[in-house]
Amino acid sequence: MGNKLKHAADSELNRLLFGDDQAGHSETIAHVESCKTCRARLDALSGSAAFDTETRNMLAGFFDGRSAGDVQTKSPIEAAAVDCLSPPRHPEMLGRLGRYEIERVIGSGGMGVVFKAFDTELNRPVAIKMLAQHLSFSGAARQRFGREAKAAAAVVHEHVVAIHNVETEGDTPFLVMSYVAGESLQARVDRAGGLDTKEVLRIGIQVAAGLQAAHDQGVVHRDIKPGNILLEQGVERALVTDFGLAQTVDDASLTQTGIVTGTPHYMSPEQAIGKPTDPRSDLFSLGSVLYFMATGRPPFRADKAMGVLNRICHEPHTPVWQDHPEVPDELSDVIDRLLEKKANHRFRSARETQHTLQKSLANLQHPRRSQQIAKRFVRRHRRSLRVASTAAGICLLSVAAVFFWPTAQPAVEQPQPVNQLSAASEPKQFSIETWQQASPAESQRWANSIEQLQHGLQRVEPSSAFDSPATPGWDTQLEQLHQQINQFQSGASAH
Amino acid sequence: MNPPFDTRSSLILRLPDKRDVEAWDQFVAIYEPLVYRLARAKGFQDADAREIVQEVMVAVSQAVERWEPDSERGRFRDWLFCIARNFMINYLTRRKYRSFGGGGSSMDELLEQQPAPDTNESAEFDLEYRREIFRLAAEQVRDQVNADTWQAFWRTSVEDESVEAVAEQLGMTPGMVYTARSRVRARLRNEVQRFQQQD
Ligand SMILES: [Zn+2]
Repeated sequence: MGNKLKHAADSELNRLLFGDDQAGHSETIAHVESCKTCRARLDALSGSAAFDTETRNMLAGFFDGRSAGDVQTKSPIEAAAVDCLSPPRHPEMLGRLGRYEIERVIGSGGMGVVFKAFDTELNRPVAIKMLAQHLSFSGAARQRFGREAKAAAAVVHEHVVAIHNVETEGDTPFLVMSYVAGESLQARVDRAGGLDTKEVLRIGIQVAAGLQAAHDQGVVHRDIKPGNILLEQGVERALVTDFGLAQTVDDASLTQTGIVTGTPHYMSPEQAIGKPTDPRSDLFSLGSVLYFMATGRPPFRADKAMGVLNRICHEPHTPVWQDHPEVPDELSDVIDRLLEKKANHRFRSARETQHTLQKSLANLQHPRRSQQIAKRFVRRHRRSLRVASTAAGICLLSVAAVFFWPTAQPAVEQPQPVNQLSAASEPKQFSIETWQQASPAESQRWANSIEQLQHGLQRVEPSSAFDSPATPGWDTQLEQLHQQINQFQSGASAH
Repeated sequence: MNPPFDTRSSLILRLPDKRDVEAWDQFVAIYEPLVYRLARAKGFQDADAREIVQEVMVAVSQAVERWEPDSERGRFRDWLFCIARNFMINYLTRRKYRSFGGGGSSMDELLEQQPAPDTNESAEFDLEYRREIFRLAAEQVRDQVNADTWQAFWRTSVEDESVEAVAEQLGMTPGMVYTARSRVRARLRNEVQRFQQQD
């Protein structure tokens, strides 16, 4: 066995890999068995670790209970899950799992299968979520599943699907939840399209309340998406399900390779780049869900999953009001606030989000019309600013910057905006000069714009969606904006 | 599933390049199960899903009738997979099932369709497409190797069992299991690349 000390050459390993059979290679095979280096080399020559992970994701359950050439009638994960059940006691049932009679599959995804079942001890319908087999083989995933599910079970709230029981001892870990008759928000929107604003607000308020209850228990959802929000039939109640379970899947397979198997559309930027998440990550996802409800589409869309993630991290969404003028600005603003890339620019909590949505709903039911009109007016104007001629555009935007990027405002306690203040006044000087050189038509157009902006401003009132740590001192800002406009106008009359 | 109709013989006459005929065969092999699975995932019953498969195949084969080998569209295979992908994504994006069957103006639409670029459906479609390629590749490789070799790969790689346990149950040495797994993995990777490259 002198070969034991000498590593196998790549040429020999390639013959072993691609030769017609393994015969005649017994020495190399024995060497590979005992030599870690050559084993690693053999792995590297035949494929990468990422390829193994993808293979597992793509093929899990594929050949189970399936003869070649058959058309599959259920998903492989589903088929594998059904195989785990004991035979049913009633012919119309699918199988049995302990004291639960399994009736049918009501959903399946990368993470596992959900059955509708009947609890024979407590005589009630339940939903059973079974961890997918390829995950249940991983000890880490099992442990995580148990830990997260137990934490989630502590969340008791009218807008959270209750977890009754968590089983991690047997071959296939599963958890038992309340059965909610109804459909998911995803199914609702697929079927009926975007929802009307009251419905969006109503569901948003309920989801935010459920999230707050979980956050109070230290549970972050991590996978808020329309498929995880159930709408109970008849009573019109929204319930959040699948708390904390997303991490189980991440641990087992995804983050190692960056392969995204589920829908990435509702991830937060911090999730997309694999940073640790906190409750504010759920708020971003909630913003995407509100956007989806209002428009029928998620805010960040691209051809490939990686493209979606890229947009989530780096590109602004199109505000809802732009393509959907029927959606009130208040709702559009709340969504913008939730979709802030930086977590500390979002609402501070689910509770704050819930309250803001509640105020919006109240305003919608008892509108203060002048406020709506004025805000819309300014907003429309902002759009026209963007298309104004270059010279006029620059100075108008410098006005708009003060208005819409309020951090440029100095505050006594805040030392850093000093240079931003001078930056804000420089373009002002520049633009007045530019204006003086502009063509009559251009300066007229600009004067009109300023006047409109001023009119609009007079009618704006502070809005709860704007009033936040990121936009302190709304009143001061309005005052300063008025002053700036006056300066512009005196510059203009000098011209 | 039976081929919904015999396009193949007429295609052989239409497509002078043998590689184009192979491309069509491969297209059918990938798309039939893929479209079926997507339709089932959308909640269609077996019979309806088969009907959708048939419609897609008819629509695309009618488009093939218009294939011009000298055009600037590139290779037949690229063109075929591209229109089929666009077609499927747009089809899935529709809220309700609507028949596409007839020729005429709908065919012009089909040829000119751009995929709705930014939908859940396109991400879902691409994932399912990739899955289909893996399945086809796996079926081919499984036919090339003996049953124990396949088992050694499947149980250690896909089902994540330990090499030692599988070796004992299959009556192999751990070295043989390592080798068998790597042999299958290498073939699978090559097959997947072969399907993918041709995209
Ligand atoms: Zn060695």
